[in-house]
Amino acid sequence: MIHMALGVIPQLIKNLFSRPMTVAFPHEAIPIPEGYRGEHTYDVDRCTSCTLCARICPNRAIEMIEAPAERQETYPKTYPQIDLGKCCFCGLCQDICSSGALSLTKGFFLSTTDRLASVRFPFPTDDEM
Amino acid sequence: MSKATGTEHMAKGHRAVDGYDLYFGPVHPGSGNFGVKLTVEGERVVAARSDPGYLHRGFEKLMEYRTPMQNAVLSDRLCILESLNWNLVHAEAVDRLCGAEIPRRAKCIRVIMAELSRIQSHIIWYGVLSKALGFDTGFKVAFGYRDYVLDLFEFVTGGRVYPAGYLCPGGVRRDFPDGTKKRIEDLLVTMEKMVLEFEAYDSRTMAARCHGVGVLALDDALRLGATGPVLRACGLAADVRRDAPYEIYDELDFDIPIREEGDALARSIIRRREIGASITIIRQVLDRLPAETLPPIKPKVAVKIPEGEVYVRNEIARGEAAVYMRSTGEAQPYRCKIRGPDLLHMIPVLEHLLVGAEVADVPAIYWSLNICPADMDR
Repeated sequence: MIHMALGVIPQLIKNLFSRPMTVAFPHEAIPIPEGYRGEHTYDVDRCTSCTLCARICPNRAIEMIEAPAERQETYPKTYPQIDLGKCCFCGLCQDICSSGALSLTKGFFLSTTDRLASVRFPFPTDDEM
Repeated sequence: MSKATGTEHMAKGHRAVDGYDLYFGPVHPGSGNFGVKLTVEGERVVAARSDPGYLHRGFEKLMEYRTPMQNAVLSDRLCILESLNWNLVHAEAVDRLCGAEIPRRAKCIRVIMAELSRIQSHIIWYGVLSKALGFDTGFKVAFGYRDYVLDLFEFVTGGRVYPAGYLCPGGVRRDFPDGTKKRIEDLLVTMEKMVLEFEAYDSRTMAARCHGVGVLALDDALRLGATGPVLRACGLAADVRRDAPYEIYDELDFDIPIREEGDALARSIIRRREIGASITIIRQVLDRLPAETLPPIKPKVAVKIPEGEVYVRNEIARGEAAVYMRSTGEAQPYRCKIRGPDLLHMIPVLEHLLVGAEVADVPAIYWSLNICPADMDR
């Protein structure tokens, strides 16, 4: 027992002068590496509407949709709408996209209380245009 | 024990009953998504019945509707604790069906990542066993160290726990990013420190709590279908990496730790020594890693798998994992049967070990088998 108690003392002293393994998030954050599979970014103007992203998606999280009637002239084909609630962030859509329209970013703040907010509409909003 | 009525017990002045059923899980904090129904008399377990099925997700059927690349992503989820090892078994099955030639660098990367996954899984095992024994320091230390491995997984695969089929049919989804070799070498130094720390705990806390608990005889282990560390702790040096080498394991020189005792402490010691063996393997593979650059694998939507059937087995952290795949020439496999080590560890082996054990030893026996409900239920 005494031997065990003595064995703890060096560890106690070491712990007094060492930093914790964790960081004080959000004041401090562990850097996210390149190639992280986070939230998608999509550029509708580069998209060729090839549908490969929707066909490779293992969770069927991508649905090809038509533009609203008032934008049909600008966007006459079908474009990928991504449901992040179904997405497993595998990145197959990014790998298969030959035009580079779809890619994954480092974004990971995806929590939401609004179910519709997790669906990424492919067309720019009026503010973005 | 004689059957006495409650009134007779009361008349004798005590409230003892003959025996009762005790549910260990599936909502017990130390059980995982799995339960065992124990019949207890006093402090002694007289019968145990495993209660699986809470984590069934139907992988084998799901895989019949997906292409190999989609299945590679799905194979992550077969066992959350060692996704990369399951990636590898699945990828090898598809590769063998397709007759694919895997570049040597990809083979080396596969072995490195599979061994890192084994180390990471053993760290979890150490953590949960410590937690089950009420040794919270061991749990926190283990999970702290595990994060160093997860940092590396995130750097290489883009995800901490789920590599998204990083070890995929045809090789690996992308090459190691710049600086990976140095990061792995640094990680191995940290892991060596960790093993020394575990050794100190094993010689005191683990030995005090696990010595002589849950003893599994070798003939029982063979009869009940135990594999991996559970079998090796009974004294048999069975390891698929040595018995039927895959990837580049036939070129590597590594120890297969064995113990004769067959108890929970022996399994704990095997686990720690296997981390050491994995460190040796990774160092050897890093020395052999070719300097060429691998192009990223571009997924294809409809590639037909040649007709045929294969049975591929690998040694993962928990034991022997295998995939039987049959193709009829379509883009999706006709059948994909998965053989995980935990089905046999969590039903026949666990039930066998729990009978006669004391209730206080149940968590120690339960977690000393390194169980994973995800792998068992599939």
